[in-house]
Amino acid sequence: MIKFLNPSYTFYLAGKILNSIKIFIIPITIVGIIFSLVISPKDYIQGDAARIMYVHVPSAWISLASFASISFLCIISFIFKIKSVNLIYKSLAPIGLTFNFVAIFTGSLWGQPTWGTWWAWDARLTSMLILMLFYVFFIFSYKFIKDPIKSTKICTAISVLGLINLVIIRYSVNWWSTLHQSSSINITGKTTVHSSMLTPLVIMLIVFLLYSALIFLMKYRIETIRVKKRGLKKI
Amino acid sequence: MNLDVFLMNGYGIYVWSSFLLTFLICLFLFLRTRKTLKKLEKDFIQETQSFSEQQLKDLKKQRIAKEILVSHSRT
Repeated sequence: MIKFLNPSYTFYLAGKILNSIKIFIIPITIVGIIFSLVISPKDYIQGDAARIMYVHVPSAWISLASFASISFLCIISFIFKIKSVNLIYKSLAPIGLTFNFVAIFTGSLWGQPTWGTWWAWDARLTSMLILMLFYVFFIFSYKFIKDPIKSTKICTAISVLGLINLVIIRYSVNWWSTLHQSSSINITGKTTVHSSMLTPLVIMLIVFLLYSALIFLMKYRIETIRVKKRGLKKI
Repeated sequence: MNLDVFLMNGYGIYVWSSFLLTFLICLFLFLRTRKTLKKLEKDFIQETQSFSEQQLKDLKKQRIAKEILVSHSRT
């Protein structure tokens, strides 16, 4: 674990992993698309509209997981003052924001044929929109606040507040009567999605995770080079 | 050709738009990130070109700097 906090080791590793991901991502994406759009069956109520789930659900999961990771890293960075952790959360935030936007947009495209509306101020939808605002404030904080100590403090505050919103997102469908359906996939409870639909969902999740890893490693290299470039003047 | 794959009983416009938009956004982010990475690597190399032999030797002792110099020369 300590080894991964060493930027020199992580930078070297990022280069190696990047090349491997580039080889695998395209074939897996093609398989994922074929499974999602052709092989998987229609939903018995929603028909073909349910296929939007294969991009909507993994996007939402990744955006939530990214923010949870960012919050965890911010707290670690704030308590233990580990500077290299900043490089990791700065690389994660754009990925989370992108998938947050994708989840909202594809959700809107799914909402029109199933609910008859593009948008509703429903608890789940609104809390996801608030998450996007948290991402935007977070990115602005580390981009525009030049003082690193102040920037870390503000980023930590935003991410901790955002954690409360994550809990609201998770339980919004249980706490309030919402248009959005309740969870069909539970890690601890019963999953109500049939294996014929679960398979493409898992493949698409792998595709999105690989893509996230690809962008994360590239962003990590960018942030590291930025730091190194500033250090060049001292040589 | 089976048109049902595209039309999807009237839901095609929503399903295809979702997939297309998702992949376009992902492609945009990938291309933008790659461009920034290449530009930064290029800027890094350019800054080191004015370095003396000794400065370059010192720089190559740093693992990250060495990796940037090597990875850029490969592309």
